[in-house]
Amino acid sequence: MLHDVELEVGEREFWFLLGPNGSGKTTLLRGLLRELRPLAGELSFDPELAAFARIGFVPQRCDLNPALPTTLREFVGLGLVGIRSSRDEEGARLRDALDQVGLRGFEERDHGSLSGGQHQRALLARALIRRPRTLLFDEPTSGLDLTAEHALLRLLERLQREEGLTVVVVTHDLSLAARYATHVAAFHQGSVTAGTRDVVLTDEILRRVYGMGVRIDAAGVSIDGEGGK
Amino acid sequence: MIESFLASWDLFHNAYLAGWGIALLLSLLGVWVVARDQIFIGAAVAQASTFGVAVALWLAGLSGGLAFLETHPGRSFAAILFGLLATLLTARGGGEGRESHEAITGWVFLVSGAGATLILARSPHGLEEIKRLLTSSLIGAGPADVWQFAVFSALAVAAAAALRRPLLLYAIDPEMAGAVGMRIRRWGIGVALVLGVSIGLAIHVAGTLYTFGCLVLPALVARSLAREVGQMLWLAPLVGVSASVVGFVLANEYDFPPAQVTVVLLCAALTGGWAYRRWRG
Repeated sequence: MLHDVELEVGEREFWFLLGPNGSGKTTLLRGLLRELRPLAGELSFDPELAAFARIGFVPQRCDLNPALPTTLREFVGLGLVGIRSSRDEEGARLRDALDQVGLRGFEERDHGSLSGGQHQRALLARALIRRPRTLLFDEPTSGLDLTAEHALLRLLERLQREEGLTVVVVTHDLSLAARYATHVAAFHQGSVTAGTRDVVLTDEILRRVYGMGVRIDAAGVSIDGEGGK
Repeated sequence: MIESFLASWDLFHNAYLAGWGIALLLSLLGVWVVARDQIFIGAAVAQASTFGVAVALWLAGLSGGLAFLETHPGRSFAAILFGLLATLLTARGGGEGRESHEAITGWVFLVSGAGATLILARSPHGLEEIKRLLTSSLIGAGPADVWQFAVFSALAVAAAAALRRPLLLYAIDPEMAGAVGMRIRRWGIGVALVLGVSIGLAIHVAGTLYTFGCLVLPALVARSLAREVGQMLWLAPLVGVSASVVGFVLANEYDFPPAQVTVVLLCAALTGGWAYRRWRG
């Protein structure tokens, strides 16, 4: 349970929610998705940034029944639930979303035939078709190889910079946060330390969060007494 | 063959029309069942509805005050009630710290199957009724059944057209559905109610075999032919109604029970569908 959270996510910020397993990262994400309500305190949303139609969510994975026939076009189009648009506008949204993730031309491909990296980009396209102002990700890079992982994060970074999106990513990966975040929320036993990347990713805070010495430098992330990642 | 079928129309038109209505309604609902990969739930709910009819007959035999339960509406009510309970019970499974969907579904199926026979073991008339339901006979359908399934089918088609996208999203990715603001719990209860009522009504008119066959086989055929889940929404009813029309004509010509002929045709279509899918790659 989260009990000591003070956090304000603003426009055009790239947030990473970091912390060990069970520290409450996904709980906060579910709060942002209105699936959980706080028992005390307040969780408020700017309607411009975080109305349902303005949020794109990318789950860790989508357990689509592999026996179901689904083209990429249909899969991405399902992201339009709750958004009223004409058929022409839907087509334009689909083209834009697929363009943004580099899957244009794959519309008729069977969803089951996509690679892991393409599948992750399809999930992102399904979020982008909503033309969101805020993108929420739950462990977006799990199961991806290093190349696909950084390709996805660079894409998110570009969307944040060029399209002005607010991005919130739940992850275990400290090195990704060190490289891409503008802001970090570090979760530790139900409380959260939040702020800009340089303020939060310090030796002292990381030691408190992970219970051991964790160092971030040009070589990557290292645990005291071990080599860098 | 067609002339002979048309000649039988005066006598059996209610059975034919009710059978086609059931095929249309259940094959549409079956898309959701197949998309969720919960095919066995259909069998369990059908079995539970049969158990409901058995309980109604048993209660009616106990006391004259419950004679209503022996009437057509009374047995329909019991079939729907038990179908509803079964869908709600199976829908609850799978959560954290709960038994799995499969375990609960298996329990419902087995307890209903055994219970229906045991509860009427000493009632020859009741056992006969249960046998009729298990083997499926459409002969008893009346004009009220025809209207009932016509109205339900029309509502189901309208709902599928109006709510196509949220229904599909909920069926194939409930987590995402919740994230875009759909109230998953309410949707789950709503779908369970529609399934329970539809299967309960169909069981009493057409029996277990035809009901379960129309629920899952057309959607499975559609799944093997379609390129998108959305296409299954029109392919499955087309397959279900076509098979029941051809099945009833053949059954009339060769003097076979229509429900069984329809189910055999659907199974043959599914075998063909699997072969097509394998060939398509």
